[in-house]
Amino acid sequence: MKIKGFLKDVGGASRVTKARLAAFEAASSTPVRDDPINDVANEWHPGKIKAIVKDKRPASKTAMTIRFTRENGEKFPFFYAGQYLSLSLVVNGKTISRPYSISSAPFEARLDKDPFVEITVRRSKGDGFIADYIYEKLEKGTEVYINMGNGQFYYEPLRDARHVVALAGGVGITPFASMAKEIAHGTLDFDLTILYGSVSSDDIVLKDELEQIKSDKVHIVHVLSGDEPDWKGEKGFLSAELIKKYSADDTSYFICGPQAMYLFLRTELNKLDIPRRRIRFEVFGSAKDITKAEGYPVELKDKTFNLTVVRGIHEDVIPARADESLATALERAGIPIETACRSGECGVCRVKLLDGKVFVNPEGDGRRAADKDFNYFHSCSSYPLSDCKIKITII
Amino acid sequence: MKFYKDHYDVIVIGGALAGLSSALMLADKGLDVLVLERHNLPGGLATSFVRGGVEIEATLHEMMSIGNKGNRLKVGQFLDDMGVDVDWLEVPEAYHASIPDVEVTLHPGFERFSKEIDAVCPGTYDKVNRLMKLCLSVYNSVNELSIHPMSKVQMLLKHEAFVKTAGYSAKEVIDTFELPQKAIDLLSPYWIYVGGPLSTLPFTIWAFLMADYIGYGSKVPRKFSHELSLKMAEKAEAMGVQIEYRQHVDKILVKDGKAYGVRTRRGDEIYADYVICSAYPNKVYTSMIEPASEVPEKAFKVVNGRQLSLSAFTVFLLLDKEAKELGIKDYNVFRAKTMDTDKIFENYKGLGPYNYLTAICLNLANPGCTPEGTTILSITALPRVDAWKKVSGEDYDKVKHEVAKAMVEEMSEYYGVNLLDHALEVIIETPMTIAHYTSMWNGCIYGYLHDMKDHIVARLQTAEEEKIIDHLEFSGAHQISGNGMGPAVTNGRKAAKNVLDSIAKEKERA
Repeated sequence: MKIKGFLKDVGGASRVTKARLAAFEAASSTPVRDDPINDVANEWHPGKIKAIVKDKRPASKTAMTIRFTRENGEKFPFFYAGQYLSLSLVVNGKTISRPYSISSAPFEARLDKDPFVEITVRRSKGDGFIADYIYEKLEKGTEVYINMGNGQFYYEPLRDARHVVALAGGVGITPFASMAKEIAHGTLDFDLTILYGSVSSDDIVLKDELEQIKSDKVHIVHVLSGDEPDWKGEKGFLSAELIKKYSADDTSYFICGPQAMYLFLRTELNKLDIPRRRIRFEVFGSAKDITKAEGYPVELKDKTFNLTVVRGIHEDVIPARADESLATALERAGIPIETACRSGECGVCRVKLLDGKVFVNPEGDGRRAADKDFNYFHSCSSYPLSDCKIKITII
Repeated sequence: MKFYKDHYDVIVIGGALAGLSSALMLADKGLDVLVLERHNLPGGLATSFVRGGVEIEATLHEMMSIGNKGNRLKVGQFLDDMGVDVDWLEVPEAYHASIPDVEVTLHPGFERFSKEIDAVCPGTYDKVNRLMKLCLSVYNSVNELSIHPMSKVQMLLKHEAFVKTAGYSAKEVIDTFELPQKAIDLLSPYWIYVGGPLSTLPFTIWAFLMADYIGYGSKVPRKFSHELSLKMAEKAEAMGVQIEYRQHVDKILVKDGKAYGVRTRRGDEIYADYVICSAYPNKVYTSMIEPASEVPEKAFKVVNGRQLSLSAFTVFLLLDKEAKELGIKDYNVFRAKTMDTDKIFENYKGLGPYNYLTAICLNLANPGCTPEGTTILSITALPRVDAWKKVSGEDYDKVKHEVAKAMVEEMSEYYGVNLLDHALEVIIETPMTIAHYTSMWNGCIYGYLHDMKDHIVARLQTAEEEKIIDHLEFSGAHQISGNGMGPAVTNGRKAAKNVLDSIAKEKERA
């Protein structure tokens, strides 16, 4: 065979070899460290960062807004309005993390002067001790760690309709407060109508702040379910009829609120014949009471099991209650576990079950198919049903 | 608390396909191996993610070098040998070429492929078939020579086609077949799987690619590439390998020109006889070797003397109808405004609109991969990072959306349906996304560019030049076999083999 001529053909390998060595020879010996692609990735997602409680202020009779800043007035990472942060606190010497929607706007995290992020937390029965801790113990100057820019609950211009109807309940207003402020600032562009359900006008979270950002593009409609004689606005629940009244021809619906509201709205939205792609729920949150979940073996609910925890070549044995998630058992025992969504969806808290049996919250199980085959679980939504052995990451 | 043993035979940095292949091979030989992976999953880019309750393949288009049970190709055979049993599904076609003036779907199998091109360009059957046979001959030689090196004379006698084409670009060799331009255009689309324009891409690489894909077809795992990664990781652990996730290796410890361990971001110092590293040599030599004084100037010349290849930009669309209802008929569409690969390569230096797109509809190879009534479509361009390097954190979101929008519009035009009218989810993966999940150097997934100055044959011949630090091996797309999931496995095996050879040599000496 011949390509160009015998000698040229057979000399090919030496030719390319020489060319390669010549390229090395000709190259600079100065180290080139630039990696702006990783730099931008880190600006958006730096992982856990230290933040400081700047101040706390009431956001309603039962809710509180906490503002965080960084050391030396450093800017916070970029994020999308509607996303949440995972807040890590040291409570009684144990690190505990919980997700909170960011109630401040993305532009506020990037201000040249005094950038900040805020969360708004409501104290309610059954939320565990974290809300109590935040209310009572978290003081100005307290150092915390946050991991932010999490979650998929944000406006995606390539996907969502220009007109968005937000259906909010209680403290579920927070992601929409962030969106509304960003729209008012001119750095996010869509029409937002917030239908905000509360029991009484006293319960409305971030009422004054929301009042200030009403504009052509941001409408806020309060809907009260309680009996309030002087109330002139909308009354009742976020019913199909009410939702329809505020909808445009093409509308995306974003829903964030308590779990009971989700169940109610699923039914109401069903009545309206809305295309599936136009409805977006924020993640469900951890189960308030897993023993009520479908398929949960209630006869085990009061049991406490031995949980063997493998980290590298090290093993610990800790108690784990059948009605608490593996992640909670680890936190109680003071074994660090990174979590984010606390809803079973994101997979940050993925662990391998080496032995034993767990119950997985059927609501929001976001595990990969192959993970299921090999006994990987998301520890925030998995509950021990026997003595178990798990392998977790070393933190 | 002690999480690690006092000492390992080998520490593998990076639990992606290359690192896991190294680990499997070394564990198979009885070595004590620790794998440290920065993410909380194995696989690197060979992974999946879940959005809106639906699992989505993150990167894999077509897995090469697998073959069928009983007739395995190189990578498939290795996985069988290691007991990694992946549920492979056949990709139904090679590709649909949507290129200027031609729309045609081509299938694997040299004869069928040549016939299909002949139907568009009559009279080309013999030439195309001969060209494919030449590719096969080079392919067989590469596979054999990578295991059994031989002298130049022997090589010329036994591997004539390989030897005689080694010095030429793909274009130079293809041109000798005097095919009409249209036929050449139909033969060109797979260039994107190796990333170099045909004028500078070594024929050896192109031949390997064509013989493998056209000769044998390609596969995808039923449960996404996470199935492949996880099965490799699980097997490795079953063989005694310790794998620790979320462990970011900051430093490789070196003394007197020899690697002896690593330090993680957590602060663990872990010791081993050998280190195999998946991070790019650029990153290792500029920031990971401790002390930095152990890096000779030559190391910088070796990395600076090479060109980074491509990164990736993908838009994933989860659609609210079945593929056929949307008019999506082909698994893999190459949509090109031009088939001049030099022009495409130039276009890829920018921020779009990109003139060469790949659209993959996984449902057509893996029908159950999304819930009934939905379809997943991924649209990919493989830009170079030149222009992306200038995008700031502030501009990132805007740029990403502009680029994505143009790509979706282009494919909407092709399918004749506004894809965004059906989008349940839109997910955009950029060079920065890749950096975020893998920390790959400059978000570059293809390693170093295959070109005539960095030819695979020369890479093999001059591998010694790149041995800068003893007992430190590299594995990943930046190594000899280059990019892709098949080559990742080969690169990982090569790194493991280097370690085994070194152990044997030192034993002999002692």
